[in-house]
Amino acid sequence: MRKDRRSDEPAHWPLHIFVLVMVLVTVYPILWVLTIAFSGGQSLAITNVPMNATFLDRLRAIVPWPAHLSAANFVSLFRDQPFARWLLNSVIVAGMTTILGVVLACTAAYAFSRFRFPGRRAGLMAFLVSQMFPGTLMLIPLFIILVKWLSLGSTFTGLVLLYTVTGIPFCVWMMKGYFDTIPKELEESALIDGASQATIFFRIILPLAKPAVAVTALFSFMTGWNEFIQAATFMNREDMYTGPVGLRFFVGGFSQQWGYFAAGSIVAAIPVMALFLFLQKYLVSGLTAGAVKG
Amino acid sequence: METPATRPTSHRRRFLIGVAVAALLGVGLGALLLAGTRTSERRDRAERRALVTLSALAAVVDRASGGSTAEAAPAAPSEPAQPSEGSGMGLGAEIAAAEQGQPQAPSGAQDELLRRAVERFAATHPEIAAIRVVRFDGILLAASTAPADEGTQAAPRRLARDEKPLYDLGQRLRAAVEANRQGAEGAAREPEIGLERGSGGVISLAAPVERNGEVLGMVQMETRARPEPATFSWLAFLAAWLAPVAGLALLSLILGEHRWPLAAAAALLLVIDLWGYSRYALGVIKADRQESARAVAARIGEESKRTEALLSELGLFQNNPAGQPLAPTLWDVDLYRQSRGLLDASGAPDEGKLGEIAGADAGRMTRSVIILALVSLALLAFVGLGWAARTGAALVEHRVAYAYITPAMIGMLVLVFFPFFYGIALSFTNANIYNTDKSIFETWTGLQNYIDIISDFHVAHRTAEGLVWDYHNFYYTFLFTVIWTVCNVAIGVSLGLALALILNLRGFALKPIYRVLLILPWATPNYITALIFRGMFHQQFGVINQIFQIFGGHSVAWFDRPLTSFLAVLTTNGWLSFPFMMVISLGALQSIPADLYEAARVDGASRWQQFRSITLPSLKPALVPAVILSVIWTFNQFNVIYLVSAGEPGGSTEILITQSYKLAFEQYRYGYAAAYSMIIFLILLAYGTWQNRVTGATESIA
Repeated sequence: MRKDRRSDEPAHWPLHIFVLVMVLVTVYPILWVLTIAFSGGQSLAITNVPMNATFLDRLRAIVPWPAHLSAANFVSLFRDQPFARWLLNSVIVAGMTTILGVVLACTAAYAFSRFRFPGRRAGLMAFLVSQMFPGTLMLIPLFIILVKWLSLGSTFTGLVLLYTVTGIPFCVWMMKGYFDTIPKELEESALIDGASQATIFFRIILPLAKPAVAVTALFSFMTGWNEFIQAATFMNREDMYTGPVGLRFFVGGFSQQWGYFAAGSIVAAIPVMALFLFLQKYLVSGLTAGAVKG
Repeated sequence: METPATRPTSHRRRFLIGVAVAALLGVGLGALLLAGTRTSERRDRAERRALVTLSALAAVVDRASGGSTAEAAPAAPSEPAQPSEGSGMGLGAEIAAAEQGQPQAPSGAQDELLRRAVERFAATHPEIAAIRVVRFDGILLAASTAPADEGTQAAPRRLARDEKPLYDLGQRLRAAVEANRQGAEGAAREPEIGLERGSGGVISLAAPVERNGEVLGMVQMETRARPEPATFSWLAFLAAWLAPVAGLALLSLILGEHRWPLAAAAALLLVIDLWGYSRYALGVIKADRQESARAVAARIGEESKRTEALLSELGLFQNNPAGQPLAPTLWDVDLYRQSRGLLDASGAPDEGKLGEIAGADAGRMTRSVIILALVSLALLAFVGLGWAARTGAALVEHRVAYAYITPAMIGMLVLVFFPFFYGIALSFTNANIYNTDKSIFETWTGLQNYIDIISDFHVAHRTAEGLVWDYHNFYYTFLFTVIWTVCNVAIGVSLGLALALILNLRGFALKPIYRVLLILPWATPNYITALIFRGMFHQQFGVINQIFQIFGGHSVAWFDRPLTSFLAVLTTNGWLSFPFMMVISLGALQSIPADLYEAARVDGASRWQQFRSITLPSLKPALVPAVILSVIWTFNQFNVIYLVSAGEPGGSTEILITQSYKLAFEQYRYGYAAAYSMIIFLILLAYGTWQNRVTGATESIA
């Protein structure tokens, strides 16, 4: 039996070649960034190709290994460039967004999960529909409201409020899904024991929902950390740039500081990539569950 | 009424309360608008008066610094033919008319004269706290009456480092004057007068000093221009609020408890009341405007007398026997140094112009009243028909739940739903960067933006070289976006599915390592991916061209031709999007029970048959939503296009979303861009609805 299933299946080695090619394509840009970052220079070429280059010269130019290994870009990034300041801005914005977002999402999701009240369905639907509003349609009025009317351009408050609110619908749906799985009997028995609403929420539900709160918080953080368009639109002062806007500053327009960009990308991306790899199974289940239901 | 009440509901009571609340809202908002208008009119009045003084001061400074000393001053028209708006005759023109073609080096005596003139001017104007004259040549403070500029600090001296803002202000005015002079007809103008409002009603005004059309300096003046406080008529407000309530109370005696007659009477009373209040408000505003015109005219009379006296005291008229007269009727200028044209040649308020303004006021008032009436009527219906009572009861009954969701809901309302509807409203206006302080009604253009976008069919035109696409046309961009989306999703699904099928093979070696490596693009923040690929596609140093050259190819200027540019963005997005499909497919494949295949084999099904009848149907529930999601993501994939190709060359690789961003934040056409975004939203909405119906239908069959 086992033997003839083997003969039934195709040989694996051509597939290995295909997968290996795909892996190479996938990993190459990442290795390229590492190479540029550790090259110690600002050029985006790995080596200088001579005028009449031989095949080997050309091959050397695409092998992702720097001509000299140097950490100068990383040192200079933090010493000579305001990158530390930009990262700090990102930490502040993403951190505040996470705290505010989780608090608002938890309370709202709890109400949507546990209470039946007029407007519940409408509210949930409104949250869902708001996810369909295109970013730029929102960006123009938000720009006028936040920058022209409220003078919140280039401030943490403006960006934090923006990120928090745009993240709320996703967080609410996610938390609601988790709250729905907590048995109602727990609360009912607590109620009989004379616990107040607040006690039930803070002492029973929240501790039980810790994993969901953690995942929601991490997602909020990552959204705030990686967001580019809004930050680029609302943060005009150079000292208020967030990480992504700062990274683009290195290589956008006529600026060609690829070494700083590469080093900065690695510093900015490693934490979120680690988080992502750790979280992706939650993300996938959340996406598919929500999508299939909706 | 269906209320199972212990106490029967009284329609009469409800409508009385309803009218009271609705009238309070309508009249209250109206009174607030009126008070706002009156306050700003009073502020304008004070500032216009201060501007008259500034104009007089500028005229004095101009003459004292050597402007009109030449004997042979040509007989320029001292009184322009028609001091209408946009005629270009303002303070600058007045100065230009007063002195043409006297390149005069400022001598020491001239400087002395200027300082004396400024001092005398300040002495005759007790409300002026300080006057400073700056000459750009030598960064000189030519004259100053500021208390701090005494002793060693006395003018003339070079400006100190901490006075840079003063110098910068002057340079800004110079730039504005030059820009306005070059600017095309109808182009947005830049203010040529600096106005800063300080605390306690002190304002600081600055005007450029010109010679022969060149801005050589600036005169700045700090003056008290405290507007008189506007009085608020409580009597009119209370009367307008309570009149309809009293009226309905009387009528209800006749109408009794009949619901619809009561509703009609209440609505009618409310509308009449609001209309009446608006007539009253219009009268008040008109009186204010006339008062302003009189006050400005009075100030002009005063200033021209004082200025003439000052000039003859300084002997400046004697130097000018041609008698280059002042043109005080042009001293009532706006911030663009254009005469407002509200005064006629004799300096009295121009009734015709005032009438035009009153007409415009009436138009605005009508629109405000219509909106106020609609809002008030909605409130009346809400209370009067009993919805308010039911809502109130629900709020009380479910107060805990509402308390929990209120904070999130407020945030959503303020920063999601309000901006959304405001965006829709903006799409019906021609709002741009220059008129954001105007209300939506002033910039309203109806469906014009939509018509402009939709009815522009100039997708391509024929030239000698053949067909040339018009890259900024909406339909071209839309077509490009569709092609972009279809190509990307096709690449994503086929690569992702292929890899998932391979990684799902039993006993495939190194599976976990492959999986982690292949998922990396998804984990990489996509702005970083985009910038990396922008670097790798660089024409001269990019790695991709190096690879091409290994195989004997030439280096390609990727972003110089639409097709190669498209390939570059497609590669980038393909790279970052296939892992998502792979992970989704892999998850679905792993959940297919193995005995299904077992049974199929026993029945003698071939591998292809197994794939068609077992694998594909089992993948569908996971793949369909994933494809829908990825269509929407790709359609709106801002970062890749914006950061990799930036629409190059010439906007040919722009997708709808990046195009609308550029319209808004590079061309500053907010209204047009909002309409553009609205169309994108409608397209996506239509797609979503259609997709939902199609997949829903197939699911019900399966």
